[in-house]
Amino acid sequence: MTTSQQQAGDPLIIGGKTLSSRFFLGTGRYPNPYVQNEAIRVSEAEVLTFAIRRINLEEPEDDAILHHLSFKPFTYLPNTSGASNADEAIRIARMARASGLSDWIKVEISANERTLLPDPLETLKATEVLAAEGFTVLPYTSDDPILCKRLEEAGAAAVMPGGAPIGTGLGILNPYNIGLIVEEAGVPIIIDAGLGSAADVVQAMELGVDGVLMNTPVAKAVDPVRMAQAMKLAIEAGRLSYLSGRIPKKRYATASSEYEALKVK
Amino acid sequence: MGKHILILGGGVIGLSTAFACAQRGHRVTVLEQGRCGGQASGAAAGMLAPFSENGEGPDDFFRLCLASLQLYPAWQQTVKEVSGRTFEYSHTGSLNVVYHESDRLALAGRAAWQERFGAQPQIVEGADLHRLEPALSPAVHAALYHPDESHIYAPDYVLALEEACRKSGVQIVDHLGSVRVIASPDHRACAVDKKGVTYEGDCLVVCNGAWAGELQEALGLQIPVYPIRGQICAYELPAPGSVRHMVFGSQGYVVPKANGTLVCGASEDVAGFDTAVTERGIQRLLNWNHRLYPFLEELEPYHRWAGLRPATQDGYPLLGRLSQQPAILMAAGHYRNGILLSPVTGQAVADLIDDRTPQVSLARFALERFTRQPVR
Repeated sequence: MTTSQQQAGDPLIIGGKTLSSRFFLGTGRYPNPYVQNEAIRVSEAEVLTFAIRRINLEEPEDDAILHHLSFKPFTYLPNTSGASNADEAIRIARMARASGLSDWIKVEISANERTLLPDPLETLKATEVLAAEGFTVLPYTSDDPILCKRLEEAGAAAVMPGGAPIGTGLGILNPYNIGLIVEEAGVPIIIDAGLGSAADVVQAMELGVDGVLMNTPVAKAVDPVRMAQAMKLAIEAGRLSYLSGRIPKKRYATASSEYEALKVK
Repeated sequence: MGKHILILGGGVIGLSTAFACAQRGHRVTVLEQGRCGGQASGAAAGMLAPFSENGEGPDDFFRLCLASLQLYPAWQQTVKEVSGRTFEYSHTGSLNVVYHESDRLALAGRAAWQERFGAQPQIVEGADLHRLEPALSPAVHAALYHPDESHIYAPDYVLALEEACRKSGVQIVDHLGSVRVIASPDHRACAVDKKGVTYEGDCLVVCNGAWAGELQEALGLQIPVYPIRGQICAYELPAPGSVRHMVFGSQGYVVPKANGTLVCGASEDVAGFDTAVTERGIQRLLNWNHRLYPFLEELEPYHRWAGLRPATQDGYPLLGRLSQQPAILMAAGHYRNGILLSPVTGQAVADLIDDRTPQVSLARFALERFTRQPVR
């Protein structure tokens, strides 16, 4: 079965747009443009994210990173990384939209340079304002179920709780919370940040999240292209497993064929 | 007694390895398919800028770059003395400029870890920044200033290295077309050129940059090295001193040279082994560089050129000894940092040849790291 066939009965729709992939990929930190392009190609990701502050907003098509990405139409998800409060995030989001890049925005507001953990209060404020201005807002936030619900109510098109701090590769530190967030959600939930390997991705998808956003685990792998493929397959495997309904866990063995059924009659 | 070392490739890495080995009393032969310094080496802007080139954090690659920067003062002096030639070595310092207040967090993060490595980074803005670099665009919001970073004039440096090698008794055989490396079972190294001439040595160091991938089969090794073309241009500055520092931005860099020119680079093109200069490639540089210095909008570059950088799959060079064939060593895949890394690479390879432990850890750069065979 191809990815598109799987998607046919199970589409991911964000801000009214049906996406061809549940894999959201960052464009930073790749060793060189060749490896970056190949990793993006193999990932089959449609949504790409990048820091607005790093982009040549006057001529986005000339930008050092974006000009390599003309081989396929992508949906750009510019992010406000580096913003330390709602006002800054709102300002650069408006600049990104004015440049014609995209009206999607990943709100990313960190106040601590060591953990880069999101500031939940400022994130909520920025989400409210930008959603009211017609942006398709995807806030990166902490894995708090109540906060995620509040972001949804504030107009987020999807909510993106972190699995662990950005770039740490620690995996999903609080699967219980992620499960609760998914249960309560009325919009898609995307796990953003902190994943390390394909196992983390499968775990996230089996918890029922709708997609995964990552950058470092692919870009900094020894073989980023192969890792991009591994992550893509993990997303598909995890999604199928989630949809298929796993067996309950039991304490003791259950034979797959009963003794009686094996007797020669 | 010295060994006989064959060096495959006469770029800046091959020449500095040859020079370091000759300094230790070894007999050295450099085998070059074209002319020395004809590819990435001669095309480079010559920045010695480990802090600017490594923004993310202190990994082993950064440590290698920093060690090399620290070797430079003595190394370049030796190259000058032995060669009898000179080249520019300027301590201008560098500015990493940003355009948004939201860049402050990243600058502060960089300054914090770089300070631990002896740099004295300062975040400068407003009047201070203007004093430091008066012609900089007022649109620049702030900059991270590194007083210790320097640069050299790469073409002259490579010429001096070549001359220093010759004067140290290194034999340079160039214009060989192609050179094959022959696996040798008796722990010696062997290479054969197009005409069938055979070269034998106690060991062979592969320093052929973007062409290293051609040796995959001969060495039984995955060598994922790709050529990434860099297009660069240079201006004649209207007045000396109108640009005082090396300046890096998210779209590229400029470097003011002592001869009154300003080098502006560089594209990173995926174009195979094509070294052509393209209109689009240079135009991209011209479209943004006036956002660093508005006066550049009025100027036309007088020179445009391109070179192929050897990029690897994970961004780190291949640097070490081949465990299955100990007579073979490799120093390739230095990508954007070949000029900076030339002294430390030469010293590290010479250390390995002399069975000494190099001063920096090479574990992260092991030659076998891309060769993962599934276990059956």
